[in-house]
This record gives sequence, C-alpha cells and structure tokens, in this order.
Amino acid sequence: MARTRSIEFEFAGTPITFNMIKVDRNKLYGYKILDVLDENDDPCELTTLADDGKTLIGKGGTGIGYLDADGNWSDKSQLKPVDLEGKPIEPVLSSFSAPIELATEISIEDYLDHNIRLIYQLEIDETSHPLIDKLKSGSIFLFDYSFRGGLEADAGIMLINDEDEIFFLVGDKTSVSFKGLQQSAPVATEEDEATGDDAGLMDFGMI
Amino acid sequence: MPQINICNSVGRDAVVNMESVSTPLRVRWLDSKNRQARNIRVLKSTIQHDAEALAEKAGEMRSVGQTLVDGDPEINLEMVGYLLSGTSRVFVDKQKKLVHRIQQFEVIKNPDGSTRERRPREITPQNVTTDIPLQWTEKFIKKADVVRKFVIANKMQLMHINGLTYDFLFGMAKDLEEKQSMMLLGGGVKANEPLILRRGNSPFRGFLEGRTQGEKYCLILHLSNLELRSPEKQKPEDDLEDAANGSKDKA
Repeated sequence: MARTRSIEFEFAGTPITFNMIKVDRNKLYGYKILDVLDENDDPCELTTLADDGKTLIGKGGTGIGYLDADGNWSDKSQLKPVDLEGKPIEPVLSSFSAPIELATEISIEDYLDHNIRLIYQLEIDETSHPLIDKLKSGSIFLFDYSFRGGLEADAGIMLINDEDEIFFLVGDKTSVSFKGLQQSAPVATEEDEATGDDAGLMDFGMI
Repeated sequence: MPQINICNSVGRDAVVNMESVSTPLRVRWLDSKNRQARNIRVLKSTIQHDAEALAEKAGEMRSVGQTLVDGDPEINLEMVGYLLSGTSRVFVDKQKKLVHRIQQFEVIKNPDGSTRERRPREITPQNVTTDIPLQWTEKFIKKADVVRKFVIANKMQLMHINGLTYDFLFGMAKDLEEKQSMMLLGGGVKANEPLILRRGNSPFRGFLEGRTQGEKYCLILHLSNLELRSPEKQKPEDDLEDAANGSKDKA
C-alpha cells in the first residue's frame, strides 16, 4: 500500500493541503534484478577491487573524506559550503515545516529544461480552489523543495495532467543552452591529433 | 562524447554529437583559507575484515562483540585510509574469491514482487548510432500535450560538429519550433523501437524538441519511460508508444 504524507501550499493567500502519493515506476511496471552465478551455479556477489589489483572491498567498506588545498585531511565541519560563484550557501528548511508559497509560474519550455526524478500524485477532497482552477487553465508552478532541509533545494514543479489529476514533480534544472555556429563541440580524437603531427612534418619546400 | 545518427525532414541523415545536460556540481567546499577543498574516497575495511568475515572467524555473529572488545580484528592496519581512485567492480564467490567466468540471468519481477520470468541476460546494443539513422517520423505531439502525458526523466542536447551539421540541426530545430511540437523518435527500421543510448542501458521513448534564437539553435532529445498518470490508470509499458501515437498531431 502506498504511503501518504501531507504537504501544505499557499496560493494567492489561501492555504491548501494535499495528500502526497509517491508514483514508483517499479510498482507500476515491475522491475528486473540480475542473478549472477559462477561455474558451479553458486551465487556471486558484486564487490569492489582496489587499484592495487588484489584488495577486495565489500559493502560499506569505503568512505568519503575531504582534503584541503594543501592535501591535508579536513573535517567536513571545518569546511564552508559555497555556490559555484563562491557565495555562501544558506541552508534551506524542510518543505514540510511551513506552507510552500506558489508564486512562480513557468513556461512549458522552462519546465522542459528540468530532468524529473521523483513523482507524487497530489490528492485533495476539495474540488473548488483558486489553485485548482489555475492549474486546469494550464499553469505550471515552480518552487523550492527539500524533503529534510539541507544545503540546497530541489526544483519542485506542480502541474495537472490531461485527466485533471494534480502532480508534484521533483527534479533538477539542466544546462540546456542555445548553440551558435562557432560553438561546435570538439571532435578531434587522439588519432586525429596523431595524424596532425605527421602533417607537421611536411614543409612548403616539398610542394 | 556520444553521437547520434539522425534524419531530417527530407530524409538526409548525419552523425552529430550528443551532450549531457545534467546538472553539474552546485556546491563547493572551501577550507579555512577560502581555498577549494576536494573530496576523496578512502578504504575503511576490506572484505576479510567486514562483519560477515568476522562472524565466520568467531563462529557466530553473537561472538563478534567480544572479539571487538579483545582486539581490533575489524581493522586492517596496512590498508585502512588507503586512497581509492581507479577501482573496478568484480564478482566474488561464497569464499570471497574472485570469479572470472560468470553466468548472468535477468529475473523479471511483477509490480507485487513475484517472479514473472527468469532468462539469460540479454545485453541490448545501443540503437542511436547504427547504420540505420533515426527517422524523421512525422509523429508530432504538441509540447503542452507531452508535458501533461509523459514524465521527462533525462535529456541530451544535439550538437553540430561542423558548418554543414550546424545548418542541418538548425533547420530541424526551426521546423519543430514552427510546429510548436515535439517529434516522437524511435529506433530500428520502422522507427518504433525505444531508444537505447548506451549498450545495456534502459530503453526510453524519445521526444525531439527544437528552439531557435536568432542564429542559435537548441535541439533537445527528451527521454521518458513513464506516463504522467495516477498509479491505478497506468498502462502496460509496451503501450507507452501507443499513448504517444494516440496523441499525435500531424501539425
């Protein structure tokens, strides 16, 4: 049975609470697991082999640490999180700690710039609310969402499908951008570079 | 960089690049002198020192506690803290010995967890850079319909590799933008197979979207493997294409 949780939004000064039902792809379509056997038909287990070629590491056998610019071990609590521009990051609160204000409408293209990784169906008993009417008119809302709170929020998106069911999607904005003629991707391969060296051996005296 | 072999509306095909547009790193960590710190992966315990191995040595898991009190059997003093970089994934048998010859089976599970089928694993080859280019299917779906019918889980941006392919892709983006639609893309001769971007990867339905801005273009391959519907109303996976075809608009 699907677990439900309540989430509260605020639209045009009016609060509205939904029940969230997680839409899990595995529970809709099923899933595949891989069964790996050795030559004697005994089950095998996937592990990690270190780069020395002999040390085997099981589940939970590795950890993440931090090194400062001098290569010394750093405790994470001594480090400061910043964004890509170097500005300090203000931690965000859990989205369940206060109503989420729905104030930003986005275009279809803005929505399509996101990759979606979590889907919740939103259920409500009310049938008449300014937010529901707005969603039925085709509006898509964007807001910051964080389940537990933390350093950064995910992109939360609310929209309605063609059967008037309301969905709340969680995703990330991608780096889609316009490309001009001069912005072609590098295509030189190592082989090309090798032939380039050969070409350098030719001089004008040969022509 | 991955590539894609694709046709335009007049049946001309070209191999162009595809670029991942997934979100890059958004948080950096600075040390006390405001210099960039970096994260590393270190070894905590080897397979000969994990809980399972200790239980085997002690005879049972209940006795492991006492061995931890008596000494440090969980620590490999020579290896703990070893910086890991070029690791590999390998299979081991019950005796924790490397296995070189394995048999792989796929177990297909129903949504309730029961087993539907068990079969030898088939590693499906990719089908976006084959001798058969992806066809211009003319199966157009309005963008507003796509966002209300499908969940876009991933996307790739198509990139030109020279002046000729710039014109080729710009033209495709312009065509799609004028129609305010996306085009359903499929693999194979009949263009009805789901797209597999890399060998052995999950299949996806592909939707091609085009945008232009002056002399610049943006051609995006959106990938979906789920309909935007309540769990009770989901169709079988094989019907995803039918769902897309059902809403096609020959714009």
